[in-house]
Amino acid sequence: MKKRVRLFFALALFVICGGSSQAQNYSIDHQPFSQMAFDKLKQQQLGNRWLMVLWSLDCPACFKELKLIQTLQLEQHGKALNVIFINADDTDEVNLERKQVLVSYEMTNFTNFYFADGQGDISRYQIDPQWYGELPRSYFVDEQGKFHGKSGLLDENLIRSWLIEK
Amino acid sequence: MGHNMNNINKSLALIFTFALVVWLPSSQALMFKHDHHATAVKKEKLTTNNKCKNAEVECAKTVTSAFAPNGDLWRLWAHQQKLWVQISQDNGVTFSAKKMLAIPAEKISARNENRPKIAFDQTGGVYLSWATPREKKYTADVRFSYSKDYGKTFIKPITVNNDNLLAGHSFNEMLVAENGDVSIVWLDGRISHQLRKQGKQSNGSALFLAQANFKDVDRNSLPVFTNQQLANGTCVCCRIAMDFNQQGELAILWRHIYGDNIREFALLTLAKNGEKVTPVYQVSHDHWKINGCPHQGGAISIDEQNRYHMVWFNQGDKGKGIFYASSDDQGKTLSQPISVGLLSGQASHPHLSQNKENIDIVWTQFNGIEHQLWHQRSIDNGQSFSKAQLLATAQNGSDRPFIIKKDKASYVSWQRPKQGHWVKVL
Repeated sequence: MKKRVRLFFALALFVICGGSSQAQNYSIDHQPFSQMAFDKLKQQQLGNRWLMVLWSLDCPACFKELKLIQTLQLEQHGKALNVIFINADDTDEVNLERKQVLVSYEMTNFTNFYFADGQGDISRYQIDPQWYGELPRSYFVDEQGKFHGKSGLLDENLIRSWLIEK
Repeated sequence: MGHNMNNINKSLALIFTFALVVWLPSSQALMFKHDHHATAVKKEKLTTNNKCKNAEVECAKTVTSAFAPNGDLWRLWAHQQKLWVQISQDNGVTFSAKKMLAIPAEKISARNENRPKIAFDQTGGVYLSWATPREKKYTADVRFSYSKDYGKTFIKPITVNNDNLLAGHSFNEMLVAENGDVSIVWLDGRISHQLRKQGKQSNGSALFLAQANFKDVDRNSLPVFTNQQLANGTCVCCRIAMDFNQQGELAILWRHIYGDNIREFALLTLAKNGEKVTPVYQVSHDHWKINGCPHQGGAISIDEQNRYHMVWFNQGDKGKGIFYASSDDQGKTLSQPISVGLLSGQASHPHLSQNKENIDIVWTQFNGIEHQLWHQRSIDNGQSFSKAQLLATAQNGSDRPFIIKKDKASYVSWQRPKQGHWVKVL
């Protein structure tokens, strides 16, 4: 009887874990970008100075930027940098890879959005009709909610002066 | 023994019961899906919110099209590590049933600026090239396969880059001359890979060219691609463009990094033996400074008078948007660039082709709701262009548009994900 109970629990554990093929199926809080979510975010952040970082798996410079922010965050001894990340890869093909990046660059404690499958251009347009998709793309948002866009890898001092030494 | 058998039987029964309990809900879901499948499959393909996971061309992020010398229009796309094709004998009005090519499965880069390529020779040869991502981020190999029987069988894929390094080799472009000479160019990370290993800084990729001829060779003694470095310090994520001039020389247009991350287009012409006919000329001067990825390559097409026609996109402080210019001296001097498309309408991703008297430019715009495919034609050798015309729209995203030629006619090929591949004569 004990053996059968053990067998049942072993099978149950296997199913819960989903087997090895799904072992990398992270449970991560990140949501598809939408105009509604963007409006809510902007409203929530009014009065704050924050940084919105758009990145892609197809952009090597983006990973330098993610690494830079990861390093700066580690220096803060628990005080969270006010950074919002948006992944600009609008394809379901990258769902797992996207999650792996969020984990490996310790972005899971930040608010993360991603462009939904096939919705990249409309999401980009909702953020900034003057942005043509070049990456990395960042927006420095001031306390009044005014967006200042910048394309390309951010300078460390610029991030420091905006978020840390403000 | 009997007792043991009894225990085994009980255990097997338990496993079976458990499996049934676990499987039943999912099987019901499958049955539910199955009931609806026959009627819903067509709708599912075209519905915006459904995940598109089948091999139909509508589900592809990118489609590559080309006319074969016999007039057949081939379209090529990737799905789940395989290459698929369809052939049209009426210039894209109707296509044959989709066919999975007889090439072993492997990862295939097929989104945005990266996509598989197809070309033909005059005797039924079909040539394929693609990039296959490797196990480490931003590493890939350029791959090649060839069919001498018009696509019935293909040789086992060959890795074109010869450095045997786990480094970046991607953004491949391919041209095949009438005699079967294959030219493949790509962005190569071997130099930056070696520099990083030495603890040194690097910026950008290198431009490499591979050449070989597979016609009339035995499958057991296939030729080896040459590998030739043409430039170093290129942008790492923009497609390359190339065309033959009237001497059969290869003209290559790519986005280069000048100075402190100034991303401008560069042009080089190579003789048939691979020697540089010209130095590398900088052909755009828009001063786009960005330490990042523009994700926008250019296009080149050379006419019978050896005039090089080019189009590109920049977001520099001296020039923003799409520009067209031409050169009568292989890029040494350029005509005054002409602005194309509506900058405030997100005009981007231009492509062009000259055909007899016509120079056609296509590009996409986005108005916040739908993607638009636009076209302009010049009939005076690029001195002026007709008023821009809207050709088509897309609701669920947009691939880059490309112009392909069939004799004296030019066609535009535009993949509209989840909506359909669109082909039309210009």
